[in-house]
Amino acid sequence: MKIKAALSICAQCITGIVWLGLVFVPQYVSAQKTDTAKKLKEVKIKENPVPLVQTIAPAQQVSANSFDQLGAVNVADAVRNFSGVNIKDYGGIGGLKTVSVRGLGADHLAVLYDGVAINDAENGQIDLGKYNLNGIGQITLYNAQPENILSPARSFASASVIAIDPVQPHLSPEKPYKIVLGVNGGSFGFVNPYLQWQQRISDRWSYVLNGYLESANGRYKFKNTEDGSDTLQNRINGDVRDQRIDGSLYWFKNDSNKFSLHINYYNSNRGLPAAIINYNSFSDERLWNRDAFVQASYLHTWSNGLQLLLNTKLSREYTRYNDPSYLNGTGGIDSRYTQREAYQSVALGYHITSNLQVSYAGDVAIAAEGAASPNNSISNYAFPSRFTFQEVLASKLTVGRWRFEGDLLHSYVNEWVKIGAVPPKQNALSPTLLATFQPFAKPDLQLRAFYKDVFREPTLDEQYLFAPSGKRDIKPEFAKQFDFGLAYRKAFDSFLEYLTLTADGFYNKVTNKIIDLPQKNPDIPSVINLGSANISGVDIGIKTQTRQSSGWKGSLSANYTYQHTVDKVHELQIPYVPANTLALNAGVEYKSFGVYYNQVVSSSRLYLEDANSVLDGYAEGDLALVYKGVISTKAITFSAHINNLFNQQYAIVRSFPMPGRSYLFSFQINI
Amino acid sequence: MKNFKQSIFTAAAALTLILSSCHKDKVNPKPTPVTDGFYILNQGLFNDNNSSLSFYTYSNKTVTADIFNAANDRGLGDTGNDVEIYGSKMYIVVNVSSTLEVVDAKTAKSVKRIQLFDGATAREPRDVAFYKGNAYVSSYDGTVAVIDTATLGVTKYIPVGRNPEQLAVANGKLYVANSGGLDYPNYDKTVSVIDLATGTVTKTLTVKDNPQNVGTDGNGHVYVLSAGNYNDVGPSLAVIDDTNDTVTSQTDFDGSGMVVQGTTAYFITSTNAIKVFDLKTMTGVTSNFVSDGTAITTPYALAVDGSTGEVFVTDAKDYTSAGAVYAFDKNGKKEYSINVGINPGKIALLKQ
Repeated sequence: MKIKAALSICAQCITGIVWLGLVFVPQYVSAQKTDTAKKLKEVKIKENPVPLVQTIAPAQQVSANSFDQLGAVNVADAVRNFSGVNIKDYGGIGGLKTVSVRGLGADHLAVLYDGVAINDAENGQIDLGKYNLNGIGQITLYNAQPENILSPARSFASASVIAIDPVQPHLSPEKPYKIVLGVNGGSFGFVNPYLQWQQRISDRWSYVLNGYLESANGRYKFKNTEDGSDTLQNRINGDVRDQRIDGSLYWFKNDSNKFSLHINYYNSNRGLPAAIINYNSFSDERLWNRDAFVQASYLHTWSNGLQLLLNTKLSREYTRYNDPSYLNGTGGIDSRYTQREAYQSVALGYHITSNLQVSYAGDVAIAAEGAASPNNSISNYAFPSRFTFQEVLASKLTVGRWRFEGDLLHSYVNEWVKIGAVPPKQNALSPTLLATFQPFAKPDLQLRAFYKDVFREPTLDEQYLFAPSGKRDIKPEFAKQFDFGLAYRKAFDSFLEYLTLTADGFYNKVTNKIIDLPQKNPDIPSVINLGSANISGVDIGIKTQTRQSSGWKGSLSANYTYQHTVDKVHELQIPYVPANTLALNAGVEYKSFGVYYNQVVSSSRLYLEDANSVLDGYAEGDLALVYKGVISTKAITFSAHINNLFNQQYAIVRSFPMPGRSYLFSFQINI
Repeated sequence: MKNFKQSIFTAAAALTLILSSCHKDKVNPKPTPVTDGFYILNQGLFNDNNSSLSFYTYSNKTVTADIFNAANDRGLGDTGNDVEIYGSKMYIVVNVSSTLEVVDAKTAKSVKRIQLFDGATAREPRDVAFYKGNAYVSSYDGTVAVIDTATLGVTKYIPVGRNPEQLAVANGKLYVANSGGLDYPNYDKTVSVIDLATGTVTKTLTVKDNPQNVGTDGNGHVYVLSAGNYNDVGPSLAVIDDTNDTVTSQTDFDGSGMVVQGTTAYFITSTNAIKVFDLKTMTGVTSNFVSDGTAITTPYALAVDGSTGEVFVTDAKDYTSAGAVYAFDKNGKKEYSINVGINPGKIALLKQ
């Protein structure tokens, strides 16, 4: 009886994994569920082999079992193959890696960790290179917003969303624990040991502990094509030392009644490699981060179907930036910034009828910034705090082969400062409309469209930092997104296991752009609202996989994005947004071995609003060899990677060269 | 399966080749000596390592872009701040690259690249002036380097105030504007006076916050324009008597980018007009020199040809795209305009 209960819980866990699929392809998944439950003993976890594509807004997903094939160590590595994604990578292990989607700036992207936004009121952009993949179960990119309307208001408030979901425990009373031990290492003096401990406490309670260390000297060779030198030069000051530890506690009654608590601490100390400047290779700037957060989530479903989702988060982020060689009179720059945030979200959801679901979510956040400098290198600092209230009313309706979603988001922002004046309060209403239509009786093909109106607040740095009069009166930047596309998905019984194809045309219009404009005095950053931009493009994704046949199996996916971007001030391409990007992943598996090839191609980009300031296109190919086997009942994975196989010298960001050919080795054992 | 894999490889390799062959081929024609015209030093943008030198030829009315790169097959580096011609050589001060590029004034061909470093740390040079065979280079590390123009070696570093900007020679002395610009908003407000016979600072004068431009009239006066603190202290012009080195007047003054030609000073005003000022009477000649209504988006730097009275005004546009230079006759009527590089910040006239 107990075993049966455990099986049923596990089946529900599995349902959780394919939860998104469950909502929209119930007939498929329920078959899958029964099937999986039967096979549970042998396969432990079985996912729907057909990737999630038929979502109301476009979605792309990568899960933990593919990280090795992609040679991915951090979240930025894992998402760079998605279509529509453009990574701004400053190069190397510790290099800043921010992600923008469909030509909109990185500030229009929200990053959710287990459903709750990682917010950076100070800088806005999230460095995805900071997030090692240890402990992460899957990553999903949603254009517009996540699928479930019972979500915090914040997840409705960005142009696109990257949802990072931590590994959930799947344990039985027979073996109430699971230990994952591993190490990554290779070029750049990179060493990254990690440990995960999953423990079942009772039928309903379990916990997961994760920890890792990363260390690298960050050195690599690069070619400077600007200074007339023939020899390769050394990238210096790219050393990294960082650690993350997190613990998660889970209470799980069923999919509709559950609780989780996460505690996360990250500590890092890294060099900031300077821009490559002719004849001056000196570099000694450093950055320290100490980030901590506690986050809790509770979902309760009453017997009448009313659902309550509570999310709470407290976070503190400390950043220290040091430039000891800055030629001011006080011995350099040494500035320490602290941002604290308290966040509470309450969401209610209810199925009025079987085909009509409504939800309301209200989120309150208070973020406070502090700055200090032992040598007074920060002047005129406002010590700003920001109060944000966001509420969303969402509804979802199914009528025949049509599905509709309509949301209205209301945002209210108010700020106060210790020194100086504040900009006016902001109030905005942002509607979203989504629809899908299944044209044929078979659900293989779906047509979809959405319209989404979003805005982003200026970050607190944009609004206040080094503003000569204390503040700048920057207004929000608005973006309207239009999308029209199709999603095709078919499972086969033949040589091919499945085929998915998605194609979306999109048009984005950005107004009131917030831009950082250099001024006569380069030491005072000048931020203004200037002009608008139009982005029109196409995302195309194709993915297929063969069935295993006499030990062999093949997989192929390609994601292509075309974007025509026009910065309306200069009538030029938007800087750092290429017209063409292509990501190609091909794999061949034979029994326990797999060989994977990943190619990322980008056409040329402008690095300034100037037709002559061009960065060349590039094509970077990575090779991965993966062995998945068993050593005395313990599952092991060993992988070897050659990144930038053809040793291409290129830069994604002007003056910040990327590494040439490099090597990465990974070993993991499950106990 | 093997063939499939191989073809993927071949395709990928081909793609890589195609893309890497997309590099623009650099054409480096043999530099032909230039004789008449002017050089424009384009700063580029900080960290973009894209400073460049353009040359305009009067006779055939053409612009040669990036003439330094064409002559030397290498770039100037990051943020060229000053260019001056002295004798047969031209001296280009490059701030972040921390170099003084010494080139032939007619071919832009490199004679020597002088690195200005204190150990491994860049001194970050800003401006250059000349006197009796020596070049004097102010650097942000609070020094003036003395460079023998015959041997092109640094003979001395003279400590001055914080983040010195422009410097100028009058009455056998060097006047250095100490801006303290990297200590915003706690600017320096001094001018160092260096006796060029002994190479030592003999006096430090106090002016208004953030002195930037220094000009001389060759008639006993040194003019120092302070930019103020961009908040409650506005720009101000100091007049220094070069016999006894005292500040004789300090006047609030809406202007930047001062250039002194004889006893006339030219400024860019906060409303982007070009103001002309008579230094003898300390009164304005005209509040807008441009007489034909020519619109310049962002006047950025000025240069005056004393022999013709022509005034050259550079336009930085929005500071991120290619700039322009406007040439005006002595009556403020536009003669022509040319397209140059990003942030044209200094002009050097090539005299035969």
